[in-house]
Amino acid sequence: MDVLLEYLPSVMGGIWTTIGLALASVMLAIFFGIVGASFKLSRNLTLRTIGGIYTTVIRGIPDLVLMLILFFGGQIMINELGDATGLWGYVEISPFLAGAFTIGFIFGAYMTETFRGAYLAIPAGQIEAAQALGIVPASYLRRIIWPQIIPHALPNFTNNWLVLMKTTALVSIIGLQDLVYNANQAGRASREPFLFLMVSFVVFLGLTILSDIGLRRLSRRYSSR
Amino acid sequence: MTHPLLSVQNIHKAFGSLEVLKGISLDADPGDVIAILGSSGSGKSTFLRCINLLEKPTEGSITLANEELHCARGHDGQLHPKDKDQLKRFRTKMGMVFQSFNLWPHMSVLENVIEGPIQVENVAKKEAIERAEHYLEEVGVFERKDYMPSQLSGGQQQRVAIARALAMEPDLILFDEPTSALDPELVGEVLKVMQQLAEEHRTMLVVTHEMGFAREVSSRVVFLEKGTVEADGTPNEVFDQPEQYSTRWAEFISRARD
Repeated sequence: MDVLLEYLPSVMGGIWTTIGLALASVMLAIFFGIVGASFKLSRNLTLRTIGGIYTTVIRGIPDLVLMLILFFGGQIMINELGDATGLWGYVEISPFLAGAFTIGFIFGAYMTETFRGAYLAIPAGQIEAAQALGIVPASYLRRIIWPQIIPHALPNFTNNWLVLMKTTALVSIIGLQDLVYNANQAGRASREPFLFLMVSFVVFLGLTILSDIGLRRLSRRYSSR
Repeated sequence: MTHPLLSVQNIHKAFGSLEVLKGISLDADPGDVIAILGSSGSGKSTFLRCINLLEKPTEGSITLANEELHCARGHDGQLHPKDKDQLKRFRTKMGMVFQSFNLWPHMSVLENVIEGPIQVENVAKKEAIERAEHYLEEVGVFERKDYMPSQLSGGQQQRVAIARALAMEPDLILFDEPTSALDPELVGEVLKVMQQLAEEHRTMLVVTHEMGFAREVSSRVVFLEKGTVEADGTPNEVFDQPEQYSTRWAEFISRARD
């Protein structure tokens, strides 16, 4: 128990990093998801192709591999670009930003499919009714389509969010001091690895259960209308 | 010389190599109630949807109040509007009522009806509400104004959809099989509202299967078959001497009488 108390502050600090990372990543994932879905639903063949490549490639490669490629590869690329252009010197990407970007980019591909499916679930007549009144696309996208996408997208979104939160554990391998990283360090230092693995276990389970309840409640509110 | 309110000339529509409309023309004067009849697959709904460009025709012209809609042929061989603002203006002047109502499920009845005036015409919310309440009253669903569409019967939903079209104060209204998705006992209430609108001398184009409506309420009947007009006249003319128009029209009404 003493061991636990001794290392708890550092482990707790990791929890905030994990939560912050998960939130930043999901924001980016939503952004990439909306862009990806609008590409895949576009009438323009080039945009559709780009959207298709994005979802196919990202969903087909293990998260860990992508994380390492984007983090280390991205770092090398940025520095080589700096060397070549002479515009900037050596840059070290922060693991938090790199992690958030990578996870956001990966889950953006899943969100793309979530949003695309939700859009396709809206009957064509909903849009036609707006068009027939003379309502312009910018207006009906915001007022007619988006509010109907949310309830259709929520179940899938919840699923993506739960997986995303667990995926944040991967950033410990690129050196970000998140919950898993700190718990692991504490376990080594105290020679109680199992104890601190259990801490990670409980915290993650707590976070996922909490968000499942929250999102379920949101889902019910939308479906009751 | 007076001009018709709506003049649709030589509308063609092809889906790939399948030509569903083979040159249909129709003029409507103010107050006309034109029933468009035809068996399924005759192209009558497609024709109606071409008038407000929900369906892009492959050929033809649409003139409303002596103003022609500017169109240009796209790469897909269809006519596309050249001027988005003009199309928007045309659409606001032509209301449309759909077979499956197409009310927006996340908005209340009142919100459904005020959306058009507020978004398209920038009408102040208070005025839009007054207008919406007036038309909801007219179609007899005023007391349901705060309900969600899913809480209403099909007949009530369709009447709200009619109020939504009326709230734009259009010059004419297009009805695309407005009673085809309704349970038989709910058809009457919607037809009654439409009859009431006809009596107010509103201009209406009604694609329908309701022979009673065509005969009793409409001022003109157009029969489409395989993408062409096979009969066109007043109800008395076309119903009393169907053989004079076409054998298929005669068959169509004798089948409807069975």
